[in-house]
Amino acid sequence: MSQTQEPCTRQEMMAIATGREIRDGELAIFGVGLSMLAGYFALAHHAPNVRAMTEGGIYGASPIGGLPWGIECNRISANATSFTSGLDALGFLVASGRCDVGIVGAAQVDKYGNVNTTGIWDGGGEIGPRFRRPKARLTGAGGANDIACGAKRYVIMVTHEAKRFAERVSYVTSPGYLDGAGARERHGFVGGGPSAIVTTLGILRPHPETKEFRLDAWFPFSSVEEIRSQTGWNLAISPSAQVAAEPTAAELAALRRVDVTGALRKH
Amino acid sequence: MPDEKLIPLAEAVRRYTCDGLLYASGAALPVGSDAIVFGRELLRQKRRNLHAIFHANTQQLNLLAAAGAVSRAECGFTGLEGFGFANGLRRAVETGRLVLEDYSNLAMALRLLGGAMNWPFVPATVNIGSDLEYRSGFAPDACPATNKIPAVTDPFSGRTIGAFSPLQPDLAAIHVTLADPRGNAIMLGTEWSRFELSRAARRVVLVADAIVDTACMRQYPNLVRIPEIVVEAVVYCPFAAWPQGSPGMYEIDEEHMKSMNKALATDEGTEAYLRNYVHSYGEDIDNYLDLIGRETMARLTQGPTSFLVDPYRQWILPHDDVLARLAERKKEAA
Repeated sequence: MSQTQEPCTRQEMMAIATGREIRDGELAIFGVGLSMLAGYFALAHHAPNVRAMTEGGIYGASPIGGLPWGIECNRISANATSFTSGLDALGFLVASGRCDVGIVGAAQVDKYGNVNTTGIWDGGGEIGPRFRRPKARLTGAGGANDIACGAKRYVIMVTHEAKRFAERVSYVTSPGYLDGAGARERHGFVGGGPSAIVTTLGILRPHPETKEFRLDAWFPFSSVEEIRSQTGWNLAISPSAQVAAEPTAAELAALRRVDVTGALRKH
Repeated sequence: MPDEKLIPLAEAVRRYTCDGLLYASGAALPVGSDAIVFGRELLRQKRRNLHAIFHANTQQLNLLAAAGAVSRAECGFTGLEGFGFANGLRRAVETGRLVLEDYSNLAMALRLLGGAMNWPFVPATVNIGSDLEYRSGFAPDACPATNKIPAVTDPFSGRTIGAFSPLQPDLAAIHVTLADPRGNAIMLGTEWSRFELSRAARRVVLVADAIVDTACMRQYPNLVRIPEIVVEAVVYCPFAAWPQGSPGMYEIDEEHMKSMNKALATDEGTEAYLRNYVHSYGEDIDNYLDLIGRETMARLTQGPTSFLVDPYRQWILPHDDVLARLAERKKEAA
């Protein structure tokens, strides 16, 4: 990193590591918030030919003036080349199986990459046989369930804290590998499932057979011990696990060009 | 003019809404186009027990839920995107005042499509296999839920998929950028699911930021995604989506988005918000605009998307002309 750059924050490292998952030329869908910054970082840095869209059907646009407040915000409507609809973007291009990669956020994630963004329940988080209202209501599925079912692969971006990394999520809002190998196939999902969980501490990837997520990389500022202590299941370590490459000066500069308002530097 | 559908907001709410209504709005996302001013008027006229169909939550549903006007809601997304959790809706769900049925964003669009087509069901290849299928707020005792997204067999492949129930709301209040007095509309920005909703609802009221001459629609007929034949009435209200943004017309009022959501986090705050921003202005559009503040309006109008409106400006009817037209209509009716 160059001398003039402020050090990279954990959130920025997460965004850069997520952006590295995006390959040039792919058809990609980004949600609002940090995932959009990660996606547009990839475009600004190593994947200029990514074909990006939002789930509302905004095409050809890049954010201006900082992190958009929402995926149909004027900050991402000022230089679009096409406006269509949710049915088009989430349906024709994602649920159909055409979309290569998506990025989704999570309030809670489990060892099979299932995501909960619906609620937090008291009493140990178990809802029980009768559906009951949550102690804390969250944002619901949005388009994440559709991306989880339809995108060829998707990346889950989540802050690495023990309370968020559960053996089993209280509520499966967006399916990962459900209860393990073969489960997605039983439902006939056209999408392949989550390819990585990128966190503020490292990167987890599914075991090729069991589909249980295990540690694939830690960040220069974290460690295997710290990650295991913040993970609510007995996290296995991939034989090839290693430290992730530090952000290059060019990566950090590209990210900060996208993150004009410094949303990723506040934590 | 027999084909003129322009009516005042209060009249539209009096005429087309009632307690217990299956009411749809939103159909855009939480920070953009939505007929929020229609929701304020629903509260001014004390409508209760609404069953709300909002593709995604907006500040309208957040406010209606906080005020206790909604008892049931169906949504694909319940937050406020960059503005965080929707405190009014969140509290109504957590206290049990409002029962929420969860779907995904695509599911809501598909259910509106099903309603528009008058299909018996829509095949579900998303939402299945997750708790969106297995858990139902409306039927909490059944787990897995049997009537929310029931399993059906694909007659061609023999595989098991799900079935979404179609939606046909009693009324849709749809925010559009431009409408002519006959009910033809142009939406700038993503239309999200407003197209499907305009065909699924039994009645459609347009809530337009600006009224244009019909010549505008004749110049850009490809862009008129909601034609007059499906529209019951046209309501004119500048800044109808405030504090949310309307691409081309005005930016998000970030300060009010935050203060409103903060107010809706408590009963006292909600009371104060209703007093100051719902019951404080009469039926006069200019009073509503004064409430937003003329300086704020001027600032929000100077956004990076304002060029999007340029092709249509020559047909936009001046504010006072539209008000005069409404007054004329009122006189005729009397």
